[in-house]
Amino acid sequence: MSAWTRRFAALCGASLMMLGSAAAQDKVSVAAISGYFAQGFGVSIVNGLNKAKDDFGIDLKLIDTGNRALDYEEQFANAAKDGQYDLIFVMGWELADALQKAAAAYPNQRFVFIDGVLDSDKIIYANFSEEQGSYLAGTLAGLMAEKGSAIAKMGDGKAIGFVGGRDIPVIRNFLKGYEAGSKDAAPDVRVDAVFAGTFDDPAKGSELTLALYEQGADVVFNVAGPTGEGVMQASAAADKYSIGVDIDMCATAPGNVVASMLKRGDVAVYTLVKEEVEGKKVTPGVRTFDLASGGVELKMCDDVAANIPAEIKDKVEAARKAVIDGTVKIGEAQ
Amino acid sequence: MSDPVRAVLGQVLAVAIAIALGALVILAVGESPVRVFRVLFLGAFGDATKIAGTLLQTTPILVCGIAACISLRAGLFNIGVEGQLFMGGFAAAWIGFGFSLPPVFHVLLGLAVAALAGLAWIAIPAFFRARYGANEVVSTILSNYVAVLLTSYLTIFLFKRPGGWSETPPIHESAYLPAIFDFSRLNWGIVIGLALAVGVWFYFRATPRGYAITTMGSNPKFAEYGGIDIRRQGFAVLLVSGAVGGLAGGIEALGVHRRFMEGFAPGFGFDGVIAALLANGHPLGTIVTALFFGALRNGSLLLEVDTNASREIITVIQALIILAVSAQILMRRRADSTAGERRWKF
Repeated sequence: MSAWTRRFAALCGASLMMLGSAAAQDKVSVAAISGYFAQGFGVSIVNGLNKAKDDFGIDLKLIDTGNRALDYEEQFANAAKDGQYDLIFVMGWELADALQKAAAAYPNQRFVFIDGVLDSDKIIYANFSEEQGSYLAGTLAGLMAEKGSAIAKMGDGKAIGFVGGRDIPVIRNFLKGYEAGSKDAAPDVRVDAVFAGTFDDPAKGSELTLALYEQGADVVFNVAGPTGEGVMQASAAADKYSIGVDIDMCATAPGNVVASMLKRGDVAVYTLVKEEVEGKKVTPGVRTFDLASGGVELKMCDDVAANIPAEIKDKVEAARKAVIDGTVKIGEAQ
Repeated sequence: MSDPVRAVLGQVLAVAIAIALGALVILAVGESPVRVFRVLFLGAFGDATKIAGTLLQTTPILVCGIAACISLRAGLFNIGVEGQLFMGGFAAAWIGFGFSLPPVFHVLLGLAVAALAGLAWIAIPAFFRARYGANEVVSTILSNYVAVLLTSYLTIFLFKRPGGWSETPPIHESAYLPAIFDFSRLNWGIVIGLALAVGVWFYFRATPRGYAITTMGSNPKFAEYGGIDIRRQGFAVLLVSGAVGGLAGGIEALGVHRRFMEGFAPGFGFDGVIAALLANGHPLGTIVTALFFGALRNGSLLLEVDTNASREIITVIQALIILAVSAQILMRRRADSTAGERRWKF
């Protein structure tokens, strides 16, 4: 009996302490605004926020904007009006205009714009070094093309491909890293890059990818959002290789996806929330998430990794270390 | 009971049933309906900004609703308002950023071109309706998709502002449809919408041609027998309906967004058609129903932030209203089928 009472007393004491500390340090409260919580990168953001919620007990509110531009400004005003959120995460370029207006109208509200940098200097920007992850993707693809038919499903075209969505700076930045990685690792391998001109056309993505395979490319890097679904499908149809982007895409075409270049939205939001919880207030400015901080990474797919010679894997790992310690510099976006 | 009273009671009942079912859905997701409806009300009418926001949401629904009313009066169904809105929006934005003109004239020209764009967009379905009797419901629905994709193409490939999101450059200040208050984006578009509603109501009530169109709507055989050229009138009615739809887009482009972008104003055309249906195709009634939908929309924005219910609950309620209203129309048509040749009863 005495054991039970002691346990009960301990529990009561612990919960009292928890109550006390919560009251003392004021719970961190976080909101996220987006119209894309259910898609690829958005899922990653939601996972990161939920993990932060589990680990730190923050208050979390997800605000779905829907797709009507008319609503955005009111949504920001409703979220910012009471100042109840320490940080408001914002994802989606269509919100950029309304966000900058809200940042001007509510100067005390801290907004975090995910995956991009805008004009306003009142906002926190969570930016990703996609060129670093792409560098590793280029290294891997280049080395595979150099080996050629020694690897299953590869031809001897000595070429690799790249399918971009629209031709915009951020996608160019992926391409720059990819080309640099391939060139440094396998100078003889050609990089064929094409842009679909849209992020919403899987059929076009598939068509372009098949054309690249025809031209001799044996590995195609998909950087095309939903258009890229076509890239993955084409790699399964042609039984060639592809590299996924943003999230782990190994399962989209098992046996054909070599790796995925992950943009870890979850790592970015988790890191920022963690700093906030630890009392280090996040301040406006650009925060870059790179290979070193785990914001981007190249994740190999287990099923295909078995086909890849160990020396290639070692070289990719060496390239990763070289990028992290700064021996390899990939330069700024052109 | 007199006919109009019965009609209004019927619609009120439809809305009440939809809201009651909506409350069940809210219960099912674990929120309190009382709290949800309270937040919804506060979000729509809580203070001056909220009321202005509600009117801001009402504007496109009202103007699109009037566009739908005009065609419904003639017994025709323009479901292409959405497409006309996109075409009108793009056309107005193009006038706004592509030309430098004196202030007042710039706005008027922008709105006029928006209306023309809407008219041009319905011209093909209207022609096939008048010439070959092709069902305008199908052709106007299909033209919506083309309009949305075409304006998106024009925006991305021909007129994209360098850098950033897929949108056109901002329009010149001379083309701004001015805001009414400094605390909201609410603009003179709402006044245009109200004036249109009253004007259209007066036209159908007090002019010979308005009477001819109403007759044609309630019984085309009888109208033809009475000497009305129903093909010609139907063609003209669809063109005017399309022009008003285009105007709705012009108001959004010049008054609210001041540019055109991908995902310009999705769904407002359909909301307008529903508002008109709920009002039995009555222009003044459409003011009330548009305000109702505008309030739901604006209230739902606060709902999303302040409660655990999703703003999509509003979409559910709207869908339930459509179901209730269409059930009613079907019941009336059945009761009516011996009486005449009406396609739709309005």
